[in-house]
Amino acid sequence: MTLENVSMSYPIPSGARGGRHSVFNDINLALSGGERLGIVGRNGTGKSTLLRIMAKIFAPSSGIVCWAPDTTVSLLSLGLGFRPDLTGSENALLACMLQGFSKQDALASLASIQDFAELEDYFNEPVKVYSAGMRARLGFATALKNRSKVMLIDEVLGVGDQLFRDKASAALREEMSEDRAVVIVSHAEAQMRALSTKMLWLGGDGKRALGDVDEIFALYNQ
Amino acid sequence: MDTLARFQLKAEARRFALGYLWWVVEPLLYVAVFYVVFVKLLGNQRSDFLVFLAVGKLTFIWFSKSINQAAMSLVNNRGLIGQVNLPKHLFPLSIVQEGLYRQLAVFAFLLLFVMGSHYSPQISWFWLLPIAALQYLLIVGIGLLAAVLVCLRRDFQMLIQLGTVFLLFMSGVFWDIRALENTELAGWLMALNPLVVLLDSYRQVLMYGEGPDMVRLGWVLVEALMLLISTMWLYRRLSFWLAQKAVTQ
Repeated sequence: MTLENVSMSYPIPSGARGGRHSVFNDINLALSGGERLGIVGRNGTGKSTLLRIMAKIFAPSSGIVCWAPDTTVSLLSLGLGFRPDLTGSENALLACMLQGFSKQDALASLASIQDFAELEDYFNEPVKVYSAGMRARLGFATALKNRSKVMLIDEVLGVGDQLFRDKASAALREEMSEDRAVVIVSHAEAQMRALSTKMLWLGGDGKRALGDVDEIFALYNQ
Repeated sequence: MDTLARFQLKAEARRFALGYLWWVVEPLLYVAVFYVVFVKLLGNQRSDFLVFLAVGKLTFIWFSKSINQAAMSLVNNRGLIGQVNLPKHLFPLSIVQEGLYRQLAVFAFLLLFVMGSHYSPQISWFWLLPIAALQYLLIVGIGLLAAVLVCLRRDFQMLIQLGTVFLLFMSGVFWDIRALENTELAGWLMALNPLVVLLDSYRQVLMYGEGPDMVRLGWVLVEALMLLISTMWLYRRLSFWLAQKAVTQ
């Protein structure tokens, strides 16, 4: 996946006529299979927007994004459209299908989702009775089923208790095979250091930097 | 789309103690209220007025409910739209599909009610299928358009709600288009509002055992298809824009 001079701006609803708020400007980067890009930046610097552009959800205001032929991209997210009145198993089925699974494949994944999420009998109860941690675990287990070539991860690492977090990190590392490219947005420095091979810093007002992990964290923590 | 629609129906049914029974209880309550107001309180003289109203109202609410819910479908699913690159028409279409399932129960109720009101089933009742299919196409086209409009400006939500209330009075739910003395006016109403034609067709078929006005229905089909083709084109062209609007709205 390559980004050439990618910029994003939004119209300001209450501002002067034609006024636009620039989120980021001229981002250039290339990502190949096996590479893992970490993105850091304060709130509102456009990290999630950039992920949405990479995931083909938004179009950039200017610039070009290219994906290699047959590249599937997806934004990993917890609780993809979870509906509180549906059971964990029904929600997992729906979420798998929204990620592009056929109904048959989605049904076949349910047992391993139930197992990974450690929900046991709660899997067949409505999600509205779940605790926040249970909901997040179900979300993570479902998201992990994703088979895309480019995996975009937005703040899903801080899930559940410490035990589950370790399991989640390990599972994620296992998913990061040689032919997969990964982009991670997170505020958890230790995990970002452990997972990323290179980093992008978004500083707002058009400031940005691309570099290795130590370099970018030095800049970000300043 | 169908799985999403079925799950949405399941989720909705679980929210209510009566669950799926509401599909039949709702039309039953409508007819009961019509009976109290129009027959008992206002003493309407027309003997078939209750059936006349039921046919009009129970087919009209299919339209009005579907359009109002489809209008909100993109904005209501902004979380999902911001996470996955899905074809955006999935959302209004699954809502319309939901409405179709519900309406099948309503049609079953309506047929029983018509039969219970001393109308015997006739061969003309088979016309129900193409008329309902046509209404479905119209709902899809208008529903798709309504969802885009609400994405563009939230104010359209109010306009669409008001619009469906105005249409309730303008489509011949409570009055008979064939009873209008000014035939020119009746012709204009039928040409401008496809619902007038559809409601009249349902009544012709169910109550009078006659075939519908084919020319008028043909025009409704042309209108519905044109709307459908142009909105599908719009969805294809505007996918990114719709996502951005829905998420930042």
